[in-house]
Amino acid sequence: MKFRSLLAALIVSIALTPFALFSVSADNLTESCVESFDATVDYFPEKVEPRFSEGWRVSYHNNYKVVDVLTPFPGAADIDAFQYVLVQCGTPAPEGFDDALMIEVPSGALIALSTTYVPHLDDLGLLDNLIGMDSGLYVSNSEVVARFAAGDLLEVGSGPSVNVEAILDAEPALVLAFGSGSPDYDTHPTLIEAGVPVVVASDYVEGSPLGQAEWAKFIALFYNREALANEVFEAKAASYADLTALTAALSDAERPAVLWNGYLSYADAWFIPGSDSFAAQYVRDAGGMLVLGDAPETQDTAAGVPFAFETVYEAGLDADIWMPGTFGVTTLMDFVAQDERYADFAAVTNGQVYNFDARENANGGNDYFESGVANPQLVLADLIAILHPDLLPEHELVYFRNLPKE
Amino acid sequence: MSASAAVSREPRGSAVNGRRALARRPLLFACLIAVLIAAIALSLSLGSVDIPLSDIVRALTGGEASRDAWTNIVLRFRLPKVLTAALAGAALSVGGLLMQTLFRNPLADPFVLGISSGASLGVALVILAIGAPGVALLAGFGLAGDLGIAAAASIGAGLVMLLVLLIASRIRDRVALLIVGLMLGYAVGALVSLLLFFSIPERIQAFINWGFGSFGGVTWGQMPIFAPIVIGGLLLCATLAKPLNALLLGESYAASLGVRLGRVRLAIIVGVGLMAGAVTAFCGPIGFLGIAAPHLARSLFGTSDHRITIPAALIVGALLAIAADLIAQAPGSRTVLPLNAVTALFGAPVVILAILRWRGLRASFE
Repeated sequence: MKFRSLLAALIVSIALTPFALFSVSADNLTESCVESFDATVDYFPEKVEPRFSEGWRVSYHNNYKVVDVLTPFPGAADIDAFQYVLVQCGTPAPEGFDDALMIEVPSGALIALSTTYVPHLDDLGLLDNLIGMDSGLYVSNSEVVARFAAGDLLEVGSGPSVNVEAILDAEPALVLAFGSGSPDYDTHPTLIEAGVPVVVASDYVEGSPLGQAEWAKFIALFYNREALANEVFEAKAASYADLTALTAALSDAERPAVLWNGYLSYADAWFIPGSDSFAAQYVRDAGGMLVLGDAPETQDTAAGVPFAFETVYEAGLDADIWMPGTFGVTTLMDFVAQDERYADFAAVTNGQVYNFDARENANGGNDYFESGVANPQLVLADLIAILHPDLLPEHELVYFRNLPKE
Repeated sequence: MSASAAVSREPRGSAVNGRRALARRPLLFACLIAVLIAAIALSLSLGSVDIPLSDIVRALTGGEASRDAWTNIVLRFRLPKVLTAALAGAALSVGGLLMQTLFRNPLADPFVLGISSGASLGVALVILAIGAPGVALLAGFGLAGDLGIAAAASIGAGLVMLLVLLIASRIRDRVALLIVGLMLGYAVGALVSLLLFFSIPERIQAFINWGFGSFGGVTWGQMPIFAPIVIGGLLLCATLAKPLNALLLGESYAASLGVRLGRVRLAIIVGVGLMAGAVTAFCGPIGFLGIAAPHLARSLFGTSDHRITIPAALIVGALLAIAADLIAQAPGSRTVLPLNAVTALFGAPVVILAILRWRGLRASFE
């Protein structure tokens, strides 16, 4: 009985769905254009607002949104900012934005020049719009990988030597690129010159993991998917806050020491994350303490600080956990083969070495830098499970991997 | 130039500083060796971690420092590092000296034949291109991690050296050989650029870090490979002093003295190639020392006689490398500077001063 009534309710609700779309006028138009323009109507009843991101902002008007990218590269000045005017299609473009790029929304075919946009596109149901990327080698998203394998996606490269002809030929409605502040690496100047609608989306400049993940909302702006972006991101932010609450009350004595040195270390120089870096924020939120994290050299910087190996050796010998951020290493044996002095560390002896390569593909593309960027709550959960296994006993590691002895 | 003009030059080059300079040479050598020993002692006692002198002496004399970590830092960090710096500095300096003589070019260095580019390509292949599967392959041959990088660099350097040898045995003209070496360097460098272009930022950064150079990467486990190659190369070079002196006077004159040019040239390329390849493989591409140290050695001793300049370049090179490493460690601070920046930044003024004070430079290359 119960099952039948449930089924009936389901059928009725499915049948009513199209009517619901038309009858509720409080939605953004995610698939269509305005047919008869009314200047008094707010065409964007669903809005986003950055809570953690500091690199972009948006102001809504009845039929257009003005989007500012404030930090196209680290250390950008006001004059470096970009402005984009997103106009609801089927409505007139506003006057007075001569310097800004006008883009009709909901936008269409998209070329993404960074893998960090891919998880957002997936979350927002926008992957169908993707027609190309800079390279197919380093992407981890399974759907995108499959489409590259099938030859359905363009590879256009990046930087000043980006394949402009291929991009012009593909006629994308939108290209998402990131800025570096250096003409040697920037792609957007070349594309702007060619008249391609390129938007500089430098999510990597953000100061916090949640700030970077919140660029989902930024991408949603171009497809009027604000409602979905809010829903997806706020769920992640809430989950991140819940996880942080698990460790907030831990005393210093209960916080394990974590030796974390990035990809950047080589022989003499060991780069320890600065106190404002993502690594430091993650370890703090996961209830740990970074080795050399209280050193004066690491304060108030997001950059890695190059310590002498012997300094790190002395400070990190007894660290409980080691995150070496290395690549090309499968086992602890491989790891120690890099430098026999690694074997002296307690974390190696105790098998407490973790690397963030659990989801690395054959070409070295690492999902930690792709879906991990969009899912800080998963990265944090991994770290809590490593630092305090008792707090998240059920959690299975997503991005990190314990290096096995052999 | 005519042979007679060249012959008259050698005495003049020596005469610049006169007989008294000749008499001072043993003293100068003694002083340099004393300074070298002092530098080694300083390098062992100064570092980012403050260790009391008594603990350092105890660790070095087979005892235990008051902390285990300190014993390890002295014996397993500072000692292999200062040894590596001395060997690498000596190798690059002597290698540079020989290349400058061979090509009669004051700008030549041990890498002029593209050998370090070959090493870079090997490293780039490991770090940038093949990625995890490539390293897994190397690990399968027992060549994991840094040794994998060193192995790849050695293979790359060796292949380029073989190619240079092959070409050198076919063309007699040294200028042509120089240009061929440069071209090889460019071609191999272009391959590295391609790999860089298609790689991801994290790996590019790792490759850039390798390029900063470091003496700290050679552990005792790797020393049995590194030291014999370098010492072997140095010994080979030391046997070449006489034919090198003849080469200074011009190839035709050297040939008339009975020097077998082809054989000497190959010996120089093998000796320098081995040393340059090993240093690049284990320490990264260390620039500057190979050009600068020979000039410093020549100007200190006021001669181009290889019986003097080879040992002089050896000591000066070792000394410069140790000094550069000391500065890179920035004693008193716990952070470090990139080695290659230090060698050039602090070394260039020293060399400029030395060159300004010695007027024999032209005589060595004309």
